[in-house]
Amino acid sequence: MSYEGVRVDDASAQVSDVTANVTANVAVNATAGVEPASEFSKRLAVLDVTDFSVDYGVGDATVRAVNEVSFSLERSRVLGVAGESGSGKSTLVYALTRLLRAPGVISGGEAVLHVSREDGRVEALNMTTASEAALRSVRWSHVSIVLQSALNALNPVLRVRHEFDEVLKTHRREMSRAQRRARSAQLMALVGLNEDRLARYPHELSGGQRQRVMIALALALEPELVIMDEPTTALDVVTQREIINELNSLRSQFGFAMIFITHDLSLLVELADEIVVMYAGRIVERATAADLYATPMHPYTLGLLNSFPPLSGERRELTGIPGSPPDLSDLPSGCTFHPRCPYAMARCERETPELVVDERRGRSVACWLHVDHDSPPTPVELSGRRLRATVPVGAREEAQ
Amino acid sequence: MRLVTRRLGLYAVTAWVAVTVNFLLPRLMPGNPIQTLIGKLTGQVTPGEIRAIRLSFGLGFHQGLIAQYFTYLTQLLHGNLGVSITLGATVSSILRQSVPWTVGLIGVSTIVSFAVGTFAGTWLGWTRGSRLDSLIPTATFFQAVPYFFLATVMLLIFGSDLHWFPVLGAYSQNVTPGWNWTFVSNVIRYGELPVISIVLSSVAGWMLGMRNMMITMVGEDFVLMAVAKGLPRRRVIMHAARNAILPSIANLSLAIGLVVSGALLVELVFNYPGVGDLLLQAVLNEDYPLIQGIFLVITLTVLAANLIADVAYFALDPRTRTEVAT
Repeated sequence: MSYEGVRVDDASAQVSDVTANVTANVAVNATAGVEPASEFSKRLAVLDVTDFSVDYGVGDATVRAVNEVSFSLERSRVLGVAGESGSGKSTLVYALTRLLRAPGVISGGEAVLHVSREDGRVEALNMTTASEAALRSVRWSHVSIVLQSALNALNPVLRVRHEFDEVLKTHRREMSRAQRRARSAQLMALVGLNEDRLARYPHELSGGQRQRVMIALALALEPELVIMDEPTTALDVVTQREIINELNSLRSQFGFAMIFITHDLSLLVELADEIVVMYAGRIVERATAADLYATPMHPYTLGLLNSFPPLSGERRELTGIPGSPPDLSDLPSGCTFHPRCPYAMARCERETPELVVDERRGRSVACWLHVDHDSPPTPVELSGRRLRATVPVGAREEAQ
Repeated sequence: MRLVTRRLGLYAVTAWVAVTVNFLLPRLMPGNPIQTLIGKLTGQVTPGEIRAIRLSFGLGFHQGLIAQYFTYLTQLLHGNLGVSITLGATVSSILRQSVPWTVGLIGVSTIVSFAVGTFAGTWLGWTRGSRLDSLIPTATFFQAVPYFFLATVMLLIFGSDLHWFPVLGAYSQNVTPGWNWTFVSNVIRYGELPVISIVLSSVAGWMLGMRNMMITMVGEDFVLMAVAKGLPRRRVIMHAARNAILPSIANLSLAIGLVVSGALLVELVFNYPGVGDLLLQAVLNEDYPLIQGIFLVITLTVLAANLIADVAYFALDPRTRTEVAT
């Protein structure tokens, strides 16, 4: 692929240019609609992640928290990342943005961020090898992040105004004091907050207000990509609902791409275009939100779906997933989910299923239930929304 | 605002209690300063002479305790702390001579130590685990060595042997005290070694405190956010340091409170004419008016330092401004 030429490993020249010509093509293509496998859709991508692995610690005590994860996120799209605590979802995004702290290390793969510069050019920046200076140039102006607890994410001794001022001062040096004030007020209005809140300290705001401030702050420089790490987990359901609506309307207004991390799969179904489900550091299923909701293929996905009441739609029984997430330093053999899986077969204990792309359906799953079949296996049993424990899978297949 | 007035009221009450205890303590203690003084005199002392001595120290009037207390308060309000028994001058004039030396020496040392320790601690906390960490045991060593030993050794090596610094006293015998550069520079020159010794022996506390708080703060989400915002490193460190410094500010106020009283060893080793030296003499001579005066000054400085700390905390940490519902 010609695109490979853009990838640069040399730290002295991480940024290379894609010609303005390409950008023009991209614009035309965007209006024509996106073809998933086309050359152009690749260039429309805002983030390409290939075989990305993250370890904690070095030497014998190494624990692999993210294992050969690959995905691509297109402009203005929402990628949902779901999974339990310890599934590696937060580690993944912190590593992608190089915010991961020691002892976390990126141990393999790469992440390429496609940065739209002011003059319309698109530059590819390899985040895994980028220098501190190159990272600073894309941070917040191109990739911003919203954390779970806004109370901890806002400096407790600084006024809200200061947070806005600082970001604008650092990245928009040409702005005057008055312009910065006006912009801050405008951003606050965007998330439905009065500008007098700018003079407040974080502890004087409610949880919902703080999270709105964080979202306003994340949009301050109109980045192409906003990463949301469980932004609504610490909020009550009513506020959660408001924030989600807010995000949807802001997204239609500004068209930023979003990576939304949560363990609440039913929330993602409403918000995301595409969802990846992670378990023990691996992607176990990837599908569009609608497909994933209607026909979950991986038993773990089904378990997650049955763990949360849907924000809207019919009521259903909540069952949850038996057992607890595996210890990353002592993973089960074969498929790491097999000890908790009601569909586990003998094979699952021995062999690790690869993430297999189902071209026809445009989705992928890493589960022995869905491989070695000429025709795609029917996910009917799974989509029936009930975990029927220890159903003899072989018997079912014969019956068909 | 109500919070401020309540605080000020609290300080007024504390000051009053301190003054009252200061009044009562010498009167409750055994012994009598006049007896001590008479004991020092040689030869025959007539009852008339004793009366004269009592009168000269303002003790001639046979008042009740309550009346004495109000006399004491009234005199205090006029800045009258009585007359020193051994030195024969008013306590306030003696204090006016010695307090500035101590405040200058220990105050400067405390501030230098705080500044150096805090900066070093900030950097050590940020670069934790690096080779710079070896600074910590070095600094702790100097704090662990007894101060009089450290100071004496420094005085011997750098003062007597190498002649890098002048020894003994606050200024040279060859200059006349006054507000001119010759005198001031001489005072600074004489102050160098004492200041260095104090800083060396106290910097570890500031450094460790700041470093440990920095390590805690660096793990906080808002520091991660500062990095994610693409801020230059200096500003990221500031985000952490701004929060990490709060406990150090509280400690600084306590240290400032001890500026007047904590100078005894320094002043003895370096023969510095300050309050510590004065207090020692006063105690040895049972000079009650002087002891009382020094105690009063010490108490009031500690109170004032606490007040300053409260105000500083108020200004630096908005969370303390939230009024607690009563």
